[in-house]
Amino acid sequence: MVTLRVNGEDRQVDVPPDMPLLWVLRDVIGLTGTKFGCGIAQCGACTVHLDNQPVRSCQLPVSAIGDRAITTIEAIGQTPEGAKVQQAWLAVDVVQCGYCQSGQIMAAAALLARVPNPTDRDIDTAMSGNICRCATYVRIREAIKQAATGQQHGLQVVVDGSAA
Amino acid sequence: MRRFLIIVVVLLAVGVGAYFFLNRTDPDDGTAPVLAGAPTNADPVARGEYLTTAADCVACHTSHDGGKPFAGGLAFKLPFGTIYSSNITPDKETGIGTWTDDEFVRAVREGIRKDGKHLYPAFPYTAYTQLSRADVLAIKAYLFSLPPVHQPEKPNELGFPFNQRWAMGFWNAAFFRSQRFQADASRSPEWNAGAYLGGPLGHCAECHTPRNFGFALKHGEALAGEVVQGWRAYNITSDPTHGIGKWSDEALTQYLRTGHAEGHASANGPMGEAIAYSLQHWKPEDTAALVTWLRTVPAREGDDPIVVDAAPKAMVASSAVAPGGDDGKADAEGLRLFEGACASCHQWNGAGQQTAYAALAGTRGVNDPKGANVTEAILEGVKMRIGDNDVYMPAFGHAYSDTEVAALANYVIRHFGGKQGEVTPADVAKRRAE
Repeated sequence: MVTLRVNGEDRQVDVPPDMPLLWVLRDVIGLTGTKFGCGIAQCGACTVHLDNQPVRSCQLPVSAIGDRAITTIEAIGQTPEGAKVQQAWLAVDVVQCGYCQSGQIMAAAALLARVPNPTDRDIDTAMSGNICRCATYVRIREAIKQAATGQQHGLQVVVDGSAA
Repeated sequence: MRRFLIIVVVLLAVGVGAYFFLNRTDPDDGTAPVLAGAPTNADPVARGEYLTTAADCVACHTSHDGGKPFAGGLAFKLPFGTIYSSNITPDKETGIGTWTDDEFVRAVREGIRKDGKHLYPAFPYTAYTQLSRADVLAIKAYLFSLPPVHQPEKPNELGFPFNQRWAMGFWNAAFFRSQRFQADASRSPEWNAGAYLGGPLGHCAECHTPRNFGFALKHGEALAGEVVQGWRAYNITSDPTHGIGKWSDEALTQYLRTGHAEGHASANGPMGEAIAYSLQHWKPEDTAALVTWLRTVPAREGDDPIVVDAAPKAMVASSAVAPGGDDGKADAEGLRLFEGACASCHQWNGAGQQTAYAALAGTRGVNDPKGANVTEAILEGVKMRIGDNDVYMPAFGHAYSDTEVAALANYVIRHFGGKQGEVTPADVAKRRAE
């Protein structure tokens, strides 16, 4: 039996010590917002936070977590940065197929918590481990800037009436 | 003319005499120090299993492409050709099922197989010659308790003259002495156990000791480090700068039992295999004995000595999640690759997350300007089972070009080691071919 602190709640799970956190989250606890992408820590789709640091949950054995706090996409909206990122994500309509967005939002929220007003270079460094097969990178960058500044930038959805 | 003939005959006689004298077999059965994991009163098969694990027979006698354990077929790509390991399961046709005790002991300790032909010293009889007969027979008892696997041996790919097994008699005359382990009465029983574990049994020197022109160990340079099949086996002498003299006993023990020592090293490649198959299974007392002995290995600098910079400028200027202090122009390509594929686990400050094994700070790998093990790790990744967990890093050999691997390796060496990396795309191509 392992006790994990997930989104502020203690969860008791009976899993082998080498089970990656992603499996525990999705298959055991039932939090399926975090996605399986590559399985080898190379695409970022499975990103969650451990004590506010982004980690790849597909390559994180549950036995290595200890008492560190796990935050997933289901609860990131309860943090100020997470809420801002999610709003900007909708405003800019970042998503195309949407598969990578849980991981993108987790990485972006961690970036803003650390660097409130990131430069393009900061964004590249923090986000380049998160791959988007639809190549929405331009919108991802816009949304992060909008979340940071609260100001609308170049790319807004037309129905919003504010397209540049 | 007659005088000339006499000289020839005398020289021949001296030569033949010297050949047989230098190839003589030590008649002593030999006595092994007491090992915690193989007490003398234990069942021979159980003792043999521990000794077989300690000698890591399985690592070389199993092919990497899904081969059955001990059935052989692993390729040793050497400068003069390729040698394949043999089937040591008790199969009567393709293994060693018909070998007698004496034949097995002769093969292990003298390098002469059942049919009387010489083995190549890729099989370390040069180290095993010091094993006691009782230990060798315990290993045989264990091997004979395994299921036989019918798997014919792969013929070696050696050109003339290396394919002439009889010629190894001359190699042996020059470089090999049949002799049993001699305990040093002036040292503790623990030290002697460590010497036996690290010498004849664990054969550390086979990878860690530099080799001479004849591909034999340079005993005067024992354990000062060598490159084997592209991987660098580091200097493990007590030298404080270039060896492991500054490592604490705890760090050495942690490394030998788990393959990772905080701030010093994470095993991968052949050493990762040695940890995964052998060292992690040793009794803690035997690990302690090995550490005791390693501490007394005379300090040596070795070739291409590595000086670890534990706090290089760029690494220190970085946080876990963001780089700092890099030379933008020189490092741009490597940095771009690192941020996309490596940073999420290794982190910019070298601390590493996901697994402690991802910590790069202070390791000799990133402090080796030649970048042997950094390059190999990028190409091949890491996959080993330690205790209850997998230690894993993906292989990037198929994803990146030679130029990209070289740029990434040199970036890693500069950022985490504070040194100018010397890895060229041609080096990477060579490594791929090996």
